[in-house]
Amino acid sequence: MPKIETKNINLYYGDFHALKGITMSMEPKTVTALIGPSGCGKSTYLRIFNRMNDLIDNVKLSGFVLVDGQDIYEKGTKVDELRKNVGMVFQKPNPFPKSIFENVAYGMKVNGIKDTKYITQKVEQSLQQAALWDEVKDKLKKSAFELSGGQQQRLCIARALAVEPSILLMDEPASALDPLSTSKIEELIYELKKEYTIVIVTHNMQQAGRVSDKTAFFYLGELIEFDDTKIVFTNPKNTKTQNYITGRFG
Amino acid sequence: MELPKDIARKKRRNQSIAFWILRLISFSIVGILFSILGFIIVKGIGAISWKFLTSWPEDGMTKGGIFPCIIGTIYLIIGSMIFAFPIGVLSALYINEYSKKGWFKDFIRLMTDNLAGVPSIVFGLFGMSLFVNQLHFGASILAGSLTLGLLVLPIVIRTTEEALKSVPDMFRHGSMALGASKWQTTSKVILPIAYPNVITGLILSIGRVSGETAPILFTVAAYSLPKLPSSLKDQVMALPYHLYVVATSGTHVEESRGMAYGTALVLIVLVLIINLLANWLRKIFSKKVKMN
Amino acid sequence: MAHIDDELDQLKVDTLGMWTLVQLQLRKGLEALTKLDKDLAREIILSERRVNAYEIKLDTDCENIFALFSPVAVDLRFVLAVLKINTNLERIGDIAEGIARFVVETDDSFDTKLLEITELLLMYEEAIDMLETSKKAFEMEDTKMARSIFKKDEYLDKINFNANEIIANYIRQNLDHTEQALYALSIIRKLERVGDQSKNIAEEIIFYVEAKVLKHKTE
Repeated sequence: MPKIETKNINLYYGDFHALKGITMSMEPKTVTALIGPSGCGKSTYLRIFNRMNDLIDNVKLSGFVLVDGQDIYEKGTKVDELRKNVGMVFQKPNPFPKSIFENVAYGMKVNGIKDTKYITQKVEQSLQQAALWDEVKDKLKKSAFELSGGQQQRLCIARALAVEPSILLMDEPASALDPLSTSKIEELIYELKKEYTIVIVTHNMQQAGRVSDKTAFFYLGELIEFDDTKIVFTNPKNTKTQNYITGRFG
Repeated sequence: MELPKDIARKKRRNQSIAFWILRLISFSIVGILFSILGFIIVKGIGAISWKFLTSWPEDGMTKGGIFPCIIGTIYLIIGSMIFAFPIGVLSALYINEYSKKGWFKDFIRLMTDNLAGVPSIVFGLFGMSLFVNQLHFGASILAGSLTLGLLVLPIVIRTTEEALKSVPDMFRHGSMALGASKWQTTSKVILPIAYPNVITGLILSIGRVSGETAPILFTVAAYSLPKLPSSLKDQVMALPYHLYVVATSGTHVEESRGMAYGTALVLIVLVLIINLLANWLRKIFSKKVKMN
Repeated sequence: MAHIDDELDQLKVDTLGMWTLVQLQLRKGLEALTKLDKDLAREIILSERRVNAYEIKLDTDCENIFALFSPVAVDLRFVLAVLKINTNLERIGDIAEGIARFVVETDDSFDTKLLEITELLLMYEEAIDMLETSKKAFEMEDTKMARSIFKKDEYLDKINFNANEIIANYIRQNLDHTEQALYALSIIRKLERVGDQSKNIAEEIIFYVEAKVLKHKTE
């Protein structure tokens, strides 16, 4: 069974038709890259999976979104439970103005976990998974803002992992970072793939090539091509895809 | 035909004229401010003494001090803030975090702005008819605090709203994406970030409250009292009203001139201290939540 | 470990696999030649398909690494080297198949005297050894070992150079073995090509490890 499946998704911001009949599915423990020019709908599509589009006024959605076979837009869906299962990492690192420890513990606390021992242990485990533990273990009480941008982003990944999701959504997670931090994030994605299903939006074609198993190319709200990354990057079927990935767009 | 050289010269000349006009205006504003301050200080400094700050008025307010007025003003500040601060912050939270875009939100905004534009004497009259007469609070700390609270409510709402608006959405999204509820997000993430600016708003309204005369005129202020208030139902003396009384309606206006300037100086210094405190607090807090 | 490292490691493992396969083809060729084992020779001819499939797989792997990882510096040289070594190995595979075809077409076993005077078997051993040496050099990134191949190639060249005269003499004396002698000459020519391919491979190894281009240099 696919981990995530969408059937004929149409999404409107007011009158603007942002997503046009998107049907695709993502297998468990794979990385799917969503690429395409700005405004093509890839970020909007990503935000369907944890219902972050709900936070925007005036959004209309039709079609089916299935996570583990469950329609997440069905009435009675617990959105907070969904968001625990579907973690998200944003474009700009957005740690809270709290200590490093509190940042990672936050998700557990708001979800009602009170067992201090469990929280402490989970914070360490999550930071280790995010390859940040060794850099911060001596300053867990320090403000998260004292970390570098790349470290902050890994902190945000740790924060998402701490509530034990099975899916990670990443919205251009490295676009605000320097090359070294970027490659660290990419390696992290490669490691996390072993346990999580990852969907990543990226503007960086090379990044899509490096980290993903499947690549979906969006253009003007439509899904133009969706295939193995190897195929998309060596032998795309659609001319638009070809033009975009070779940088001949327009 | 003008030569390019002439055009350039003309440009430079206009530029320097504009520059000097602007500079002159700025200087004159500072100048006016300093002359007012200077005037008050020169006239009032003679009256200031430890005794002036700690004792009661004597001899038809020509001698003695203003101790009960200081205490009264502090009571009114505390009273009005207890009322206005929570209500103001909560309604700002509602407007900014909860209500959806639409006519209702715009309507609340418009009303708040209108409320801010109402003259303070109107608040005084309203407070008198509602709190003093209708609700039978009488002229009391309770009635005065509520009236002052109403007066500064728009300020608290507006500054809190601005404070909340200045918190980037990425924090809200970051919290919601972890499964936090709206209230958890607001109380645990957004408010702590907005805190410095909310505090600034609080302090600005304290400044406003401590200087207002009209709203307390009919609702709480007493001409003269023999003792400090002992309950919310008591009247108090207050600095701005005392100043008004001493300067205009006393029996010995000329003799009590010094007292009047002394009172004015205390009031100005009080407001100045509060404003400086606001700045200082804002710096402290914003250092704490500094982003890199 | 970085993702690209995993990919490059896998590529190296697969390249060594190709190497082993081609080596095996050559070895079997030698065995088929000495024992005139036609079945074994036919097996070699069939296995050539596997070599070709392997070549295509490695080509695709290199293409994917270029497309997905944009390798640079030593990584780039490595993939480029693999791409070329792959072609060289495939040619050696072709040669093994060619030798096997001679074995299939020959009626009699080779005259031992002919093999002795032309030093064909020695040459064959030497060619296999060159391939083995180049494989080790590639595996261990040992350019010194890679350079030793050039010396060995000179030996093959010498045998090849002398072969004309030796074969000509042999034919004059053994007219009934003319066809066999010509086959032997062809095999020697082919083995000489194995030497050249191995030399190219050695050059690629040195290029990849030291970033030096040795090709077309007159020494």
